[in-house]
Amino acid sequence: MTSGFLNATLLICQFELKRLFTTRKGLLYLITFAIVWYFILLYPIRFSAGLFEQNQNSTQGSNFFEFIGFGALLNWQIPEFGVYWRFALVMFPLLCITIASDQSCSDRERGTLRFLSLRVSRDSLFFGRFAGVMAIQTLLILVTVLTTLILAIYRDINLLPIALNSASAITLNLVLVLRPFTAMMAALSASVKSARQATVWAILIWSFLAGIISGLSYYLPALAILKILIPGYQMADLSQLAEWQTLELAYIPLLQSLVFLSIGRWIMSRQSL
Amino acid sequence: MIHCHNLSHSYSSKVALNKVNFDLATGEPIGLVGPNGAGKTTLLSILCGFIRPTSGSVSLFGHKPGASALNGKVSALPQDARLDPSFTIGEQLNFYARLQGLSSQQAQHETIRVLDAVALKDSIKEKPDTLSHGMAKRVAIAQALIGSPELILLDEPTAGLDPVNTRNIRTIIADLSPSTTFIISSHDLAELGRLCQQILLLENGNMSSMQLNTSEQDSPTRFITLQMEACPATEVMTQLKQLTGVLLVSNPQKNEFIIEYNPTIESKIDIKILTCLMDNRWQYRQFSQGKTLEEKLFFEG
Repeated sequence: MTSGFLNATLLICQFELKRLFTTRKGLLYLITFAIVWYFILLYPIRFSAGLFEQNQNSTQGSNFFEFIGFGALLNWQIPEFGVYWRFALVMFPLLCITIASDQSCSDRERGTLRFLSLRVSRDSLFFGRFAGVMAIQTLLILVTVLTTLILAIYRDINLLPIALNSASAITLNLVLVLRPFTAMMAALSASVKSARQATVWAILIWSFLAGIISGLSYYLPALAILKILIPGYQMADLSQLAEWQTLELAYIPLLQSLVFLSIGRWIMSRQSL
Repeated sequence: MIHCHNLSHSYSSKVALNKVNFDLATGEPIGLVGPNGAGKTTLLSILCGFIRPTSGSVSLFGHKPGASALNGKVSALPQDARLDPSFTIGEQLNFYARLQGLSSQQAQHETIRVLDAVALKDSIKEKPDTLSHGMAKRVAIAQALIGSPELILLDEPTAGLDPVNTRNIRTIIADLSPSTTFIISSHDLAELGRLCQQILLLENGNMSSMQLNTSEQDSPTRFITLQMEACPATEVMTQLKQLTGVLLVSNPQKNEFIIEYNPTIESKIDIKILTCLMDNRWQYRQFSQGKTLEEKLFFEG
């Protein structure tokens, strides 16, 4: 890997961040996200956390949460982060499918990638855009985690050390969880003509891949291992874990990202611009 | 500089390039002409690394198109490519300059320099959507001038430009040649005739090459092209044919005559022709040595 490749990748990544903070489209996205997050933080997280806190030490309350499938939330030392974790595992992958859908397709259709490809390698373009979208999502995760942390320590300042620990575990985990989704969108964006097509294909892949693999593994059980390639495959198990335990499944998104990035890079290197 | 061997490209069943072979050296601008659909844009796209040839090999400065070694060395004005509408022109050209390895300050200077070269310095803070077609074309040319590329491929650089800016682009090309080699695809043959010494003709996916300055030197006969004001064509041809040394006079278009003559029989044929015109009080518009590029390329028997 040369310094030229790294410099170009970094510049492209920075330009993607600039797209979020300086363009009208990016700012509109940020404002919408901030409003939605404000309401999630203010109502579901704050109220649910209060409810969990009240019932954390009562057997009746624990049984109720076990019954409705949210028992794992009680394993979190700070209920706000337990609720946040469940929300984030659904919200961020869904956001990822929209925010990461246009990594290269509209630029390719417009011809802008031609200007860029005369100056940098296609690898730099592909990985730079991927890194840019990952940086944007990391920032959004950090903001949401920090606001949740503030909510928790506002309730009890003594929770700060535990909150920092939970916040670190969540941030690292969410970044890992989003990697395969972003890599899948990068590969799709390199193949299709518009962001909308990439989103539709992502939903189709997400919905049907599991069904197809399950169907095939019914006849050939060995094929069940292919489920590991479906982004979010580990989410159900992940939602049952708490704090740093969540890293036990980190190998799955890392492996998935590797596969999707390899496919995407292969498509990008052969795609007509 | 460019080496193409048996280069072919097909779109589904349509052959765009058919085993094209050529070698080009650095130097004076090279023209690329051919009818619509002849494969000019396909050839330039392959040279830029935008598309991969179906078969055959191509190398630029010893590297495959799109290789990292060519970044910043080969530049292009791709056909119909547009800038990102979300950012200003200045921001994007600045970004391109940074990608070519310039520092932040150098990139700013370079952006201003290239926009000034195409007379769009005042549009630096405008977004691409606010520009007219001609202005967008000039910005696209400006991005091709960033840094110091050794080869610039221009696909229809003056199509849609007004006469003043067309001349401006011609001046830029002339000023940068031959330190920068240009390959210019255009339908404006008069423009190519002014700029280029070598013309590549693509027709039905096949290529031929022509050196403009040497093609008539070796020939035993030479040509003069005469463009007249309104005149009696039959009488003009009759009078010109009677001049000593004139072998053939043809009238390919209204008020245009091509005179083939033998320079060994009459070396001062131009004086004789002009005297003939003056004697008959016929006004001429343009008098030039040789055939027009259009005649040479498309109508020569």
